[in-house]
Amino acid sequence: MSLHLNINGDDRLSVKDPLTPLVDVLRDEFFLTGAKVVCREGFCGACTVLLDGRPVMSCLIPVGLADGCTVRTVESLAPVGALSPLQQAMEQYDAVQCGMCFPGMMISLTHFLEHTPNPNRDQLKGALTGNICRCTGYERIIDAALSLAAERSSGMERDDHGKS
Amino acid sequence: MPMTDDRRFYVARSLPDALAALAERGHAGVPLAGATWIMRAPIRQERQDLSYVAISRIDEFRNVEILDHEIRIGACVTHAELATSLAFLPECRAIGQAAGGSANPAVRQVATIGGNLCASKFAAADLVPALMCLQAELDLETPRGPERIALEQFLQVRTSMEPGWLLRRVVVPRTACRSVHVRLPLRKAGDYPVAIVSMAAVLSTSGLVTSARVVVGSVEPAARRWKRLEADLTGCALDTGSAAEKAEKYSEDFQGRDGIEAPGWYRVKVLTSLVRRAVQAIQQES
Repeated sequence: MSLHLNINGDDRLSVKDPLTPLVDVLRDEFFLTGAKVVCREGFCGACTVLLDGRPVMSCLIPVGLADGCTVRTVESLAPVGALSPLQQAMEQYDAVQCGMCFPGMMISLTHFLEHTPNPNRDQLKGALTGNICRCTGYERIIDAALSLAAERSSGMERDDHGKS
Repeated sequence: MPMTDDRRFYVARSLPDALAALAERGHAGVPLAGATWIMRAPIRQERQDLSYVAISRIDEFRNVEILDHEIRIGACVTHAELATSLAFLPECRAIGQAAGGSANPAVRQVATIGGNLCASKFAAADLVPALMCLQAELDLETPRGPERIALEQFLQVRTSMEPGWLLRRVVVPRTACRSVHVRLPLRKAGDYPVAIVSMAAVLSTSGLVTSARVVVGSVEPAARRWKRLEADLTGCALDTGSAAEKAEKYSEDFQGRDGIEAPGWYRVKVLTSLVRRAVQAIQQES
Protein backbone atom coordinates (compact mmCIF):
# COMPACT_ATOMS: atom_id res chain seq x y z
CA MET A 1 0.00 0.00 0.00
CA SER A 2 1.54 3.36 -1.07
CA LEU A 3 0.52 6.46 0.79
CA HIS A 4 0.70 9.93 -0.70
CA LEU A 5 1.56 12.82 1.55
CA ASN A 6 2.56 16.38 0.84
CA ILE A 7 5.27 17.09 3.39
CA ASN A 8 6.53 20.63 3.73
CA GLY A 9 5.43 21.35 0.18
CA ASP A 10 6.91 18.23 -1.40
CA ASP A 11 4.81 15.33 -2.70
CA ARG A 12 6.12 12.21 -1.01
CA LEU A 13 5.29 8.52 -1.10
CA SER A 14 5.38 6.34 2.00
CA VAL A 15 5.54 2.57 1.81
CA LYS A 16 5.24 2.05 5.53
CA ASP A 17 2.49 -0.02 7.17
CA PRO A 18 -0.55 2.30 7.32
CA LEU A 19 -0.73 1.84 11.09
CA THR A 20 2.79 3.24 11.54
CA PRO A 21 2.66 6.42 13.62
CA LEU A 22 3.19 9.47 11.43
CA VAL A 23 6.07 10.64 13.65
CA ASP A 24 8.00 7.48 12.82
CA VAL A 25 7.35 7.91 9.11
CA LEU A 26 8.55 11.51 9.22
CA ARG A 27 11.70 10.66 11.13
CA ASP A 28 12.67 7.25 9.77
CA GLU A 29 11.44 7.36 6.19
CA PHE A 30 11.82 11.05 5.36
CA PHE A 31 14.59 11.98 7.81
CA LEU A 32 12.66 14.91 9.21
CA THR A 33 13.82 14.58 12.77
CA GLY A 34 12.43 17.84 14.09
CA ALA A 35 9.35 16.14 15.53
CA LYS A 36 10.51 14.17 18.57
CA VAL A 37 9.37 10.80 19.93
CA VAL A 38 8.88 11.08 23.68
CA CYS A 39 5.67 9.89 25.37
CA ARG A 40 3.89 8.20 22.44
CA GLU A 41 0.65 8.94 24.29
CA GLY A 42 -0.35 12.36 23.00
CA PHE A 43 0.47 14.12 26.26
CA CYS A 44 3.85 15.77 25.79
CA GLY A 45 3.50 17.43 22.38
CA ALA A 46 7.11 16.91 21.32
CA CYS A 47 5.81 15.29 18.12
CA THR A 48 3.35 18.05 17.19
CA VAL A 49 3.05 18.74 13.46
CA LEU A 50 0.43 20.43 11.30
CA LEU A 51 -1.86 18.03 9.43
CA ASP A 52 -4.00 19.83 6.87
CA GLY A 53 -3.27 22.99 8.83
CA ARG A 54 -4.28 21.59 12.25
CA PRO A 55 -1.81 20.87 15.05
CA VAL A 56 -1.88 17.15 15.86
CA MET A 57 0.12 14.66 17.89
CA SER A 58 1.91 12.77 15.13
CA CYS A 59 2.56 9.86 17.50
CA LEU A 60 -1.18 9.17 17.49
CA ILE A 61 -1.81 9.56 13.75
CA PRO A 62 -1.55 6.30 11.79
CA VAL A 63 0.11 7.28 8.53
CA GLY A 64 -2.79 5.65 6.68
CA LEU A 65 -5.05 8.46 7.92
CA ALA A 66 -2.58 11.02 6.56
CA ASP A 67 -2.88 9.67 3.00
CA GLY A 68 -3.70 12.59 0.73
CA CYS A 69 -3.01 15.15 3.46
CA THR A 70 -0.54 17.99 3.80
CA VAL A 71 1.94 17.81 6.64
CA ARG A 72 4.07 20.62 7.94
CA THR A 73 6.90 19.99 10.36
CA VAL A 74 9.11 22.40 12.27
CA GLU A 75 11.60 22.23 9.40
CA SER A 76 9.14 24.16 7.25
CA LEU A 77 8.74 27.19 9.50
CA ALA A 78 11.64 29.05 7.89
CA PRO A 79 14.09 28.62 5.00
CA VAL A 80 17.27 26.70 5.73
CA GLY A 81 19.66 28.90 7.65
CA ALA A 82 16.99 31.33 8.74
CA LEU A 83 14.61 31.54 11.67
CA SER A 84 10.93 32.32 11.57
CA PRO A 85 9.83 35.45 13.44
CA LEU A 86 8.59 33.23 16.27
CA GLN A 87 11.89 31.37 16.45
CA GLN A 88 13.74 34.70 16.48
CA ALA A 89 11.61 35.87 19.37
CA MET A 90 12.43 32.69 21.29
CA GLU A 91 16.14 33.25 20.69
CA GLN A 92 15.85 36.89 21.71
CA TYR A 93 14.19 35.90 24.98
CA ASP A 94 16.68 33.05 25.57
CA ALA A 95 13.69 30.74 25.89
CA VAL A 96 15.25 27.43 24.79
CA GLN A 97 17.05 25.05 27.13
CA CYS A 98 17.39 21.40 26.17
CA GLY A 99 15.32 21.89 23.03
CA MET A 100 13.38 18.63 23.23
CA CYS A 101 9.96 20.27 23.47
CA PHE A 102 10.71 23.14 21.14
CA PRO A 103 9.76 21.80 17.73
CA GLY A 104 6.34 20.95 19.08
CA MET A 105 6.11 24.29 20.88
CA MET A 106 6.91 26.16 17.69
CA ILE A 107 4.30 24.30 15.67
CA SER A 108 1.62 24.82 18.32
CA LEU A 109 2.46 28.50 18.78
CA THR A 110 2.77 29.19 15.04
CA HIS A 111 -0.73 27.84 14.51
CA PHE A 112 -2.14 29.52 17.60
CA LEU A 113 -0.79 32.98 16.79
CA GLU A 114 -2.11 32.73 13.24
CA HIS A 115 -5.62 32.19 14.61
CA THR A 116 -5.44 34.29 17.79
CA PRO A 117 -3.39 37.36 16.86
CA ASN A 118 -3.83 39.20 20.17
CA PRO A 119 -3.71 36.58 22.90
CA ASN A 120 -3.34 37.20 26.60
CA ARG A 121 -1.08 35.22 28.87
CA ASP A 122 -3.78 32.77 29.97
CA GLN A 123 -4.80 32.06 26.40
CA LEU A 124 -1.22 31.27 25.48
CA LYS A 125 -0.89 28.95 28.45
CA GLY A 126 -4.08 27.23 27.38
CA ALA A 127 -2.70 26.79 23.89
CA LEU A 128 0.36 25.07 25.33
CA THR A 129 -1.42 22.56 27.57
CA GLY A 130 -0.34 19.88 25.11
CA ASN A 131 3.33 20.90 25.03
CA ILE A 132 5.18 19.80 28.14
CA CYS A 133 8.45 21.51 29.03
CA ARG A 134 10.45 20.23 31.98
CA CYS A 135 13.24 22.80 31.69
CA THR A 136 12.02 26.34 31.35
CA GLY A 137 8.93 26.92 33.44
CA TYR A 138 7.28 28.37 30.30
CA GLU A 139 7.47 32.05 31.30
CA ARG A 140 10.09 33.12 28.74
CA ILE A 141 8.30 31.13 26.06
CA ILE A 142 5.11 33.03 26.87
CA ASP A 143 6.97 36.35 27.02
CA ALA A 144 8.51 35.73 23.60
CA ALA A 145 5.20 34.78 22.05
CA LEU A 146 3.49 37.83 23.52
CA SER A 147 6.24 40.09 22.23
CA LEU A 148 5.79 38.73 18.73
CA ALA A 149 2.04 39.17 18.94
CA ALA A 150 2.56 42.76 20.06
CA GLU A 151 4.97 43.41 17.19
CA ARG A 152 2.47 42.07 14.70
CA SER A 153 -0.29 44.20 16.15
CA SER A 154 1.83 47.28 15.79
CA GLY A 155 2.81 46.35 12.24
CA MET A 156 6.46 45.93 13.20
CA GLU A 157 6.82 42.22 12.32
CA ARG A 158 10.32 41.05 11.44
CA ASP A 159 11.13 38.89 8.40
CA ASP A 160 12.97 35.56 8.39
CA HIS A 161 16.28 37.40 8.61
CA GLY A 162 15.39 39.39 11.69
CA LYS A 163 14.70 42.63 9.93
CA SER A 164 11.56 44.63 10.63
CA MET B 1 -0.69 -15.94 7.76
CA PRO B 2 0.02 -12.28 8.62
CA MET B 3 -2.59 -9.84 7.43
CA THR B 4 -1.74 -7.70 4.42
CA ASP B 5 -1.77 -3.92 4.79
CA ASP B 6 -5.12 -3.75 2.98
CA ARG B 7 -6.64 -6.18 5.44
CA ARG B 8 -5.21 -4.51 8.53
CA PHE B 9 -6.20 -1.03 7.48
CA TYR B 10 -9.05 -0.24 5.15
CA VAL B 11 -10.40 3.24 4.41
CA ALA B 12 -14.16 3.14 3.94
CA ARG B 13 -15.68 5.74 1.62
CA SER B 14 -19.33 5.27 2.53
CA LEU B 15 -21.51 3.79 5.24
CA PRO B 16 -22.38 0.67 3.20
CA ASP B 17 -18.69 0.26 2.40
CA ALA B 18 -17.78 0.44 6.10
CA LEU B 19 -20.49 -2.01 7.12
CA ALA B 20 -19.44 -4.48 4.44
CA ALA B 21 -15.81 -4.24 5.49
CA LEU B 22 -16.69 -4.79 9.16
CA ALA B 23 -18.96 -7.73 8.32
CA GLU B 24 -16.15 -9.30 6.33
CA ARG B 25 -13.75 -8.96 9.27
CA GLY B 26 -16.05 -10.33 11.98
CA HIS B 27 -14.63 -10.25 15.52
CA ALA B 28 -11.29 -8.97 14.25
CA GLY B 29 -12.83 -5.89 12.64
CA VAL B 30 -12.77 -2.55 14.48
CA PRO B 31 -13.95 0.87 13.31
CA LEU B 32 -11.24 3.52 13.46
CA ALA B 33 -12.15 7.18 13.70
CA GLY B 34 -9.56 9.60 15.14
CA ALA B 35 -7.35 6.72 16.32
CA THR B 36 -6.17 8.52 19.44
CA TRP B 37 -7.25 5.64 21.70
CA ILE B 38 -6.33 2.83 19.36
CA MET B 39 -2.81 4.13 18.68
CA ARG B 40 -2.06 3.77 22.39
CA ALA B 41 -2.95 0.05 22.36
CA PRO B 42 0.73 -0.99 22.55
CA ILE B 43 1.20 1.02 25.74
CA ARG B 44 -1.89 -0.62 27.22
CA GLN B 45 -0.48 -3.99 26.08
CA GLU B 46 -3.61 -4.80 24.15
CA ARG B 47 -3.87 -7.10 21.17
CA GLN B 48 -2.57 -5.60 17.94
CA ASP B 49 -3.78 -8.17 15.43
CA LEU B 50 -7.05 -6.42 14.78
CA SER B 51 -8.21 -5.20 11.39
CA TYR B 52 -9.17 -1.54 11.29
CA VAL B 53 -11.83 0.04 9.10
CA ALA B 54 -11.21 3.78 8.94
CA ILE B 55 -14.48 5.72 8.84
CA SER B 56 -13.30 9.33 9.07
CA ARG B 57 -13.47 9.85 5.31
CA ILE B 58 -17.23 9.24 5.27
CA ASP B 59 -18.75 12.70 4.79
CA GLU B 60 -21.95 12.19 6.78
CA PHE B 61 -19.90 11.18 9.82
CA ARG B 62 -18.31 14.64 9.91
CA ASN B 63 -21.53 16.63 10.03
CA VAL B 64 -23.21 18.50 12.87
CA GLU B 65 -26.87 19.26 12.15
CA ILE B 66 -28.62 21.71 14.44
CA LEU B 67 -32.37 21.29 14.06
CA ASP B 68 -35.23 22.87 15.99
CA HIS B 69 -35.85 19.84 18.17
CA GLU B 70 -32.52 18.00 18.20
CA ILE B 71 -28.86 18.11 17.34
CA ARG B 72 -27.36 15.35 15.24
CA ILE B 73 -23.63 14.80 15.56
CA GLY B 74 -21.79 12.49 13.19
CA ALA B 75 -19.60 9.88 14.84
CA CYS B 76 -16.37 11.34 13.44
CA VAL B 77 -16.94 14.93 14.52
CA THR B 78 -13.85 15.93 16.47
CA HIS B 79 -13.88 17.46 19.93
CA ALA B 80 -12.63 20.76 18.49
CA GLU B 81 -15.35 20.80 15.81
CA LEU B 82 -17.99 19.92 18.39
CA ALA B 83 -16.93 22.71 20.75
CA THR B 84 -17.06 25.24 17.92
CA SER B 85 -20.39 24.01 16.54
CA LEU B 86 -22.19 24.13 19.89
CA ALA B 87 -20.58 27.30 21.25
CA PHE B 88 -23.70 29.40 20.72
CA LEU B 89 -26.21 26.89 22.13
CA PRO B 90 -26.61 27.56 25.86
CA GLU B 91 -28.59 24.39 26.49
CA CYS B 92 -25.61 22.35 25.25
CA ARG B 93 -23.06 24.10 27.42
CA ALA B 94 -22.06 20.81 29.10
CA ILE B 95 -21.13 19.25 25.76
CA GLY B 96 -19.27 22.33 24.59
CA GLN B 97 -17.30 22.50 27.84
CA ALA B 98 -16.53 18.79 27.72
CA ALA B 99 -15.39 18.91 24.12
CA GLY B 100 -13.49 22.17 24.48
CA GLY B 101 -11.65 21.18 27.65
CA SER B 102 -10.75 17.55 27.07
CA ALA B 103 -7.16 16.37 26.68
CA ASN B 104 -5.20 19.13 24.93
CA PRO B 105 -5.59 21.28 21.79
CA ALA B 106 -3.80 18.90 19.43
CA VAL B 107 -5.71 15.81 20.60
CA ARG B 108 -9.01 17.72 20.38
CA GLN B 109 -8.29 18.30 16.68
CA VAL B 110 -8.35 14.55 16.05
CA ALA B 111 -10.25 12.72 18.80
CA THR B 112 -13.87 12.08 17.90
CA ILE B 113 -17.20 11.87 19.69
CA GLY B 114 -17.63 8.33 18.40
CA GLY B 115 -14.28 7.21 19.70
CA ASN B 116 -14.94 8.78 23.07
CA LEU B 117 -18.20 6.85 23.42
CA CYS B 118 -16.99 3.53 22.05
CA ALA B 119 -13.68 3.26 23.94
CA SER B 120 -15.14 1.05 26.64
CA LYS B 121 -11.99 0.99 28.76
CA PHE B 122 -11.61 4.76 28.82
CA ALA B 123 -13.08 5.66 32.20
CA ALA B 124 -12.15 9.35 31.99
CA ALA B 125 -13.94 10.08 28.71
CA ASP B 126 -15.30 13.64 28.99
CA LEU B 127 -18.08 13.45 26.43
CA VAL B 128 -19.82 10.46 27.99
CA PRO B 129 -21.16 12.16 31.15
CA ALA B 130 -21.85 15.42 29.32
CA LEU B 131 -23.95 13.68 26.68
CA MET B 132 -25.67 11.48 29.24
CA CYS B 133 -26.82 14.43 31.33
CA LEU B 134 -28.43 15.85 28.17
CA GLN B 135 -30.22 12.56 27.41
CA ALA B 136 -28.30 11.73 24.26
CA GLU B 137 -29.26 8.80 22.10
CA LEU B 138 -27.14 6.95 19.59
CA ASP B 139 -27.99 5.89 16.07
CA LEU B 140 -26.26 2.58 15.44
CA GLU B 141 -25.99 0.54 12.28
CA THR B 142 -26.04 -3.14 13.19
CA PRO B 143 -26.16 -6.41 11.22
CA ARG B 144 -29.90 -6.37 11.94
CA GLY B 145 -30.32 -2.84 10.61
CA PRO B 146 -30.44 0.65 12.15
CA GLU B 147 -31.13 0.98 15.89
CA ARG B 148 -31.54 3.92 18.21
CA ILE B 149 -30.40 3.42 21.78
CA ALA B 150 -30.09 5.66 24.82
CA LEU B 151 -26.50 6.38 25.77
CA GLU B 152 -27.11 4.98 29.25
CA GLN B 153 -28.16 1.68 27.77
CA PHE B 154 -25.36 1.70 25.18
CA LEU B 155 -22.75 1.80 27.93
CA GLN B 156 -24.20 -1.44 29.32
CA VAL B 157 -24.06 -3.33 26.02
CA ARG B 158 -21.21 -1.84 24.00
CA THR B 159 -18.76 -4.61 24.84
CA SER B 160 -21.15 -7.47 24.16
CA MET B 161 -22.72 -6.47 20.88
CA GLU B 162 -22.60 -8.69 17.82
CA PRO B 163 -19.61 -7.69 15.63
CA GLY B 164 -20.22 -5.60 12.55
CA TRP B 165 -21.98 -2.67 14.27
CA LEU B 166 -21.09 0.94 13.81
CA LEU B 167 -21.97 4.14 15.62
CA ARG B 168 -23.36 6.49 13.00
CA ARG B 169 -24.31 9.57 14.98
CA VAL B 170 -25.27 10.98 18.35
CA VAL B 171 -28.63 12.69 18.76
CA VAL B 172 -29.17 15.25 21.54
CA PRO B 173 -32.69 16.59 22.17
CA ARG B 174 -32.93 20.34 22.51
CA THR B 175 -34.55 21.33 25.79
CA ALA B 176 -34.80 24.40 27.98
CA CYS B 177 -32.27 23.11 30.47
CA ARG B 178 -29.11 24.62 31.86
CA SER B 179 -26.11 22.36 31.83
CA VAL B 180 -22.52 22.32 32.96
CA HIS B 181 -19.50 20.01 32.80
CA VAL B 182 -17.05 20.18 35.69
CA ARG B 183 -13.84 18.19 35.64
CA LEU B 184 -10.92 17.94 38.05
CA PRO B 185 -7.56 17.18 36.43
CA LEU B 186 -4.36 16.94 38.42
CA ARG B 187 -2.85 19.90 36.59
CA LYS B 188 -4.89 22.87 35.51
CA ALA B 189 -5.35 21.33 32.08
CA GLY B 190 -4.08 18.59 29.83
CA ASP B 191 -4.51 15.62 32.15
CA TYR B 192 -7.12 12.92 32.40
CA PRO B 193 -9.66 14.17 34.96
CA VAL B 194 -9.67 12.51 38.35
CA ALA B 195 -13.45 13.01 38.54
CA ILE B 196 -16.16 14.56 36.40
CA VAL B 197 -19.63 15.87 37.23
CA SER B 198 -21.96 16.81 34.39
CA MET B 199 -25.22 18.37 35.43
CA ALA B 200 -28.35 19.46 33.59
CA ALA B 201 -31.28 21.14 35.35
CA VAL B 202 -34.58 22.63 34.34
CA LEU B 203 -35.73 25.40 36.63
CA SER B 204 -39.24 26.75 37.11
CA THR B 205 -39.94 30.47 36.96
CA SER B 206 -39.76 30.51 40.75
CA GLY B 207 -36.30 28.94 40.66
CA LEU B 208 -37.23 25.42 41.75
CA VAL B 209 -35.59 22.46 40.08
CA THR B 210 -38.25 20.65 38.05
CA SER B 211 -35.81 18.07 36.70
CA ALA B 212 -32.17 17.29 37.29
CA ARG B 213 -29.70 14.90 35.75
CA VAL B 214 -26.33 14.45 37.39
CA VAL B 215 -23.77 12.17 35.79
CA VAL B 216 -20.48 11.19 37.37
CA GLY B 217 -17.55 10.24 35.17
CA SER B 218 -14.01 8.96 35.73
CA VAL B 219 -14.74 7.89 39.33
CA GLU B 220 -15.82 4.41 38.29
CA PRO B 221 -14.91 2.43 35.15
CA ALA B 222 -17.95 3.85 33.35
CA ALA B 223 -19.94 7.04 33.81
CA ARG B 224 -23.35 6.76 35.41
CA ARG B 225 -26.14 8.87 36.80
CA TRP B 226 -26.30 9.91 40.42
CA LYS B 227 -29.97 9.14 40.87
CA ARG B 228 -30.31 9.70 44.60
CA LEU B 229 -28.84 13.16 44.25
CA GLU B 230 -31.04 13.89 41.24
CA ALA B 231 -34.16 12.93 43.24
CA ASP B 232 -33.12 15.06 46.21
CA LEU B 233 -32.39 18.13 44.08
CA THR B 234 -35.73 17.94 42.30
CA GLY B 235 -38.46 20.14 43.76
CA CYS B 236 -35.99 22.30 45.67
CA ALA B 237 -34.36 25.62 45.06
CA LEU B 238 -30.93 25.29 43.54
CA ASP B 239 -28.53 26.09 46.35
CA THR B 240 -24.81 25.32 46.42
CA GLY B 241 -24.67 24.62 50.15
CA SER B 242 -27.57 22.19 50.31
CA ALA B 243 -26.52 20.51 47.05
CA ALA B 244 -23.06 19.93 48.47
CA GLU B 245 -24.52 18.50 51.69
CA LYS B 246 -26.65 16.11 49.68
CA ALA B 247 -23.66 15.12 47.55
CA GLU B 248 -21.65 14.45 50.70
CA LYS B 249 -24.46 12.30 52.08
CA TYR B 250 -24.79 10.27 48.87
CA SER B 251 -21.13 9.98 47.98
CA GLU B 252 -21.21 6.41 49.32
CA ASP B 253 -23.15 5.58 46.14
CA PHE B 254 -19.83 5.42 44.31
CA GLN B 255 -16.94 2.99 44.50
CA GLY B 256 -13.92 4.92 43.26
CA ARG B 257 -11.44 3.15 40.97
CA ASP B 258 -7.77 3.19 41.81
CA GLY B 259 -5.62 4.59 39.03
CA ILE B 260 -2.16 5.90 38.33
CA GLU B 261 -3.30 9.48 38.73
CA ALA B 262 -5.41 9.10 41.89
CA PRO B 263 -6.71 6.48 44.34
CA GLY B 264 -10.40 5.61 44.39
CA TRP B 265 -11.17 7.21 47.73
CA TYR B 266 -9.89 10.58 46.44
CA ARG B 267 -12.09 10.45 43.35
CA VAL B 268 -15.15 9.99 45.56
CA LYS B 269 -13.98 12.59 48.06
CA VAL B 270 -13.85 15.39 45.49
CA LEU B 271 -17.37 14.80 44.20
CA THR B 272 -18.87 17.11 46.82
CA SER B 273 -16.73 20.00 45.61
CA LEU B 274 -17.51 19.27 41.98
CA VAL B 275 -21.24 19.27 42.69
CA ARG B 276 -20.85 22.60 44.45
CA ARG B 277 -19.02 24.04 41.45
CA ALA B 278 -21.60 22.63 39.06
CA VAL B 279 -24.52 24.14 40.94
CA GLN B 280 -22.73 27.47 41.19
CA ALA B 281 -22.12 27.46 37.44
CA ILE B 282 -25.75 26.67 36.69
CA GLN B 283 -26.88 29.45 39.01
CA GLN B 284 -24.65 31.86 37.11
CA GLU B 285 -26.37 30.98 33.84
CA SER B 286 -29.56 32.76 34.91
